Amino acid sequence: MYKFRSATDRIELMHQLVRDRVIPVDTERVAALTKSHKKNAKVPPIIKTALATYDICSEMTCRVEDFEIIVGNIGKEFLGSGMWPEWDASWLWQELEEMKLWELWDDGLYHRTDPSGVHMSMSREEINSFMSFRDFWKDNTVTSYMDSWAPEGFEEVAGLGILEMGSKMRTPIHTGHLVAGYEKIINTGYHTIRKQAQDWIDAHKGNLMGNDVDKHMFYKSAVIICDAAINMIKHYGQACFDKANLCKDECRKAELMKMGNGLMWISENPARNFWEACQATIMYQILLYQEARHPALAFGRFDQYTWPFLEADLKSGSITMDEAQEIVDAFFLKSNCFYRASNPKIAAYTGVGVTYHHTTIGGVNRDTGEDATNPVTYMILETVGRLKLHDPTISLRINKNTPDKLWDCAIETTRLVGGLPLFQNDEVIIPSLVKELEFELRDARDYGIIGCQEIVGCGNDYPAGNGLHGKAGLGSHGNVLMTALNNGVNPSNGKKGGLQTGYLYDMKTFDDVKSAYKTQFDYLHKWSVTIQNYVENLSTFYAPSAALSISIEGCMESGKDCTVGGAKYNSYGGTATGLATVSDSLAAIKYMVFDKKLCTAKELYDAVMANWNGYEVLQQQVLSLVPHYGNDDPYADELMAWVTDIYYENCCECYSKRSKYYKAGLYGAAQHVVQGSVTIATPDGRNTGQPLADATSPGQGRDKNGPISVFKSICCFDHGRYMDGLALNLRIHPSALSTEEAKISLRDMTKAYFENQGMEVQYNVVSSDTMRAAQKDPKSYKDLVVRIAGYSAYFNELPTTMQNDVISRTEMNSL
Amino acid sequence: MWLMSENIKGRVYDIQGYSVHDGPGIRTTVFLMGCPLTCLWCHSPESQNYDFQLSWFDMRCIGTVKCGLCINVCPNSALYEREPEKSLIDNSTITKINIDRSKCDNCLACTKVCPANALVPSGYDISLEDVFKRIIKDKKYYGKDGGVTISGGEPMEQFEFTYAIAKRCKESNLTVCVDTTGFAPGENYEKILPYVDLFLFDLKHMDPKRSRNFVGVDNELILENAKLIAKNGGKLQIRIPTIPKLNASMENMMKTADFCKDLGDAVTMIQLLPYHNMGTTKYLRIGLNYKLVNVDPPSDEEMQSYLDLMLSYDLPAQIH
Repeated sequence: MYKFRSATDRIELMHQLVRDRVIPVDTERVAALTKSHKKNAKVPPIIKTALATYDICSEMTCRVEDFEIIVGNIGKEFLGSGMWPEWDASWLWQELEEMKLWELWDDGLYHRTDPSGVHMSMSREEINSFMSFRDFWKDNTVTSYMDSWAPEGFEEVAGLGILEMGSKMRTPIHTGHLVAGYEKIINTGYHTIRKQAQDWIDAHKGNLMGNDVDKHMFYKSAVIICDAAINMIKHYGQACFDKANLCKDECRKAELMKMGNGLMWISENPARNFWEACQATIMYQILLYQEARHPALAFGRFDQYTWPFLEADLKSGSITMDEAQEIVDAFFLKSNCFYRASNPKIAAYTGVGVTYHHTTIGGVNRDTGEDATNPVTYMILETVGRLKLHDPTISLRINKNTPDKLWDCAIETTRLVGGLPLFQNDEVIIPSLVKELEFELRDARDYGIIGCQEIVGCGNDYPAGNGLHGKAGLGSHGNVLMTALNNGVNPSNGKKGGLQTGYLYDMKTFDDVKSAYKTQFDYLHKWSVTIQNYVENLSTFYAPSAALSISIEGCMESGKDCTVGGAKYNSYGGTATGLATVSDSLAAIKYMVFDKKLCTAKELYDAVMANWNGYEVLQQQVLSLVPHYGNDDPYADELMAWVTDIYYENCCECYSKRSKYYKAGLYGAAQHVVQGSVTIATPDGRNTGQPLADATSPGQGRDKNGPISVFKSICCFDHGRYMDGLALNLRIHPSALSTEEAKISLRDMTKAYFENQGMEVQYNVVSSDTMRAAQKDPKSYKDLVVRIAGYSAYFNELPTTMQNDVISRTEMNSL
Repeated sequence: MWLMSENIKGRVYDIQGYSVHDGPGIRTTVFLMGCPLTCLWCHSPESQNYDFQLSWFDMRCIGTVKCGLCINVCPNSALYEREPEKSLIDNSTITKINIDRSKCDNCLACTKVCPANALVPSGYDISLEDVFKRIIKDKKYYGKDGGVTISGGEPMEQFEFTYAIAKRCKESNLTVCVDTTGFAPGENYEKILPYVDLFLFDLKHMDPKRSRNFVGVDNELILENAKLIAKNGGKLQIRIPTIPKLNASMENMMKTADFCKDLGDAVTMIQLLPYHNMGTTKYLRIGLNYKLVNVDPPSDEEMQSYLDLMLSYDLPAQIH
């Protein structure tokens, strides 16, 4: 059995601080940004954005804490956060004006402890300062441009309340779901990248023809951003020297000097050792966050791009494995310090207290296709397991030669830390990337996972998973179905705007029902992509990303920003969560009305519209008689396959100016809970307001035949088509992992699922009893981590609705 | 020749996929009804009786205001409303039912109308073909070690059915385990042996009198059958439910170890199963009282001492 070891004292100290975090919000970034934008008001956005990043990086506070071996901060304080008003900060201005959610504590700070978001604090001075910038940004944000005009027909369809962006065009989340080119940054250095850009500029001075003007602006933005990085990293180096000068402990003093020297070196040059590779990755991450509030910058295959450095260090004897482990611990704790204050309403969707530094480990070597497990692979699991870190999400890539020892380590990790790692199947994903998205084999073998679940190329792809901006997909599929059965009126809110597809009680055959759903779905899904396409047009102009483009393969070569198609691979996509609610509802209609004739269509329609009030017996019949998805019953599974098929086929018809691929995805962060809360009862027996099914998982509590039946059900459709990712959440009772043999059985079952073309699975190993106890006595369960859907979280930090959702899932037992 | 019909039926109370505690690897376990033993700690009391009983799942009942169908169909007036209570699900007020077990004759009429599966029969009849279909469905997941386990109750009580399942599975190249109390005619063990890869064989007490007190039958036949299986080349995984105050003593464990030693190579593993009281709610479902209320699970140290003892006899043993 894999055993986790204890961490060093300073790591434990940092862990405590991260664990009990309060995020101090400050205006340092806002002040520098606003000043810069005022100064450069009429400069083209691509240059203006780069100049602002340069100014922010020049003026930011560079911190070095006593306990740190990896430095870097995105706010003024340790754990602090700046704000990103250039996209949208209206929520915070509004909150601070009303002051309902912020209360003054004894420490003299205003605290926001509402469970919808993480615990944040602000001083009076910071609040005043922040308020002073309100007027400038009011009509100057990217989202305000989005809101000011919309394509024809938008208002009507938005009024339905099904599209996820609500009644306005704005997408509240900035673009930036991808794996940046960390490998390039640490192996090339900013000096060389800058030189490449400057060389082009020098060669074309006074001779800009055709597209050269665009290219010139792009390369200029690259030069500015490299200067920003060099500048900032040197400041960190100097901060280490300053700290060293004051340090009395000779040992720590030497360490700080070494860190300072290392930072000075990597500010321009490629990393020379393991520590520099890790520190350079963090520095680059900070550069990216000072540029924009990228929501999901994943670290990609960290074990692959750092191992060559560690291997060389170990050979030369300059580091021990324990020292390297401490660096990995510090790296991931540091990544936990980068929580970017955000609209709590969005946080409820996308993850409370989650930084989205999804990290991919294991998998195959991109050149040989052989298993690529290395010591860093284990170190990352060791960090997650011993510190019980719920963030970042770790995806473990499984191939047919994944070592048993790594399986053992991963299953031990999942037993302790709910849902981590996610198990991803190379044998399905790699060939599918080649087939569906025309990846070269070498790049397909090098894939990573971002966000919740999205599959992307590493450092060569602008994948815009989950849409160009998050929260831009189609909303509740439960409402799509109900609108289809209610002649184009969304019964959850009574709003018109869908196609007139008739009423359930007028439909003569089950094929009529399916056809109504397909028609409505096709219409609304195309609309959701239309809006994404329109928004992409706007945001690429107003929010380019030089900081990303300097590292992503294709951009520097083509002289094009990644947001306008400079990357080697381009795609975008969306996700559908809770399709099991739709397919189970269709199964209920088919079974109850058409096949067994246990009730009429009118009765079922009336029952659902009444939220089953007065129809409780019928509801129970639906729950106990109708076959449900997740039980290896073809009656239900065929409908799930049909629902996923029509979704995939619709996605294949969508594309944008930048990308010819719109990818289908079957996962969610926690949308199923939020969408369920605005969805009327559904024919599958679900009540109004209850969560939809999550991702591709069976409806909560509907799967009654054990995990193998779930695996067999989910393989009723072709996973390889869902290149935006797919998730299956299974909850396992701890007793099913109580012996070594049982753990091996979990491994073997997962292997068998993968051999049968399953793409992904994630396990929560926690009993309902434990979660109920944690609800009653949160303090005693501080470290309890569960996976809600697209992210893991401390159970106690989840809103009660989400806690109850995890409890309501079937607990796979084996007693 | 002893024959059986292809459409033979048996009586089960559950078929569980992904069983990882009933024999090696990933298995499907078929739980048959009926048992000649009455172990005080039995954690599946609904399996003791071969005849169907009325089972009650309190949490599922949606109350007499919304439903109440069961009260109307009961021919014996055994069902009646209880006092209204607070629902554990949504805090609303709900009026559930009580079952007067002295009036209930297990006619099961109520189970046919209960829409919520709150009232259900304790088991069901199923044909060999349907059992086999359920087992073979998961074949790709069994790997080289896994397969089917026929358990109970006491599966040898429905010998024809158990034999038929074992034979059918063996012929389809599945590994077969039979989880038995050992209390069945020896000749039946001899008959089924060619189709069984491993017997999960309970040894609950070595003392005849105590055996009678705790499990309701003498242990002589049980011990004879263990020897018989060993003699005929069968494999045994000895399972010892370890119950404080009843059989958890050094003396009993030493006798068990001596006995196992004599069985020789037939014993592939001795599993010490620490007592747990998670089956108690099952008693309430069928209207019985749990008798071992004053027994706590054994401590880890106590379990370890028994394990050390087994290992000192050079026996393959583990705590499970």
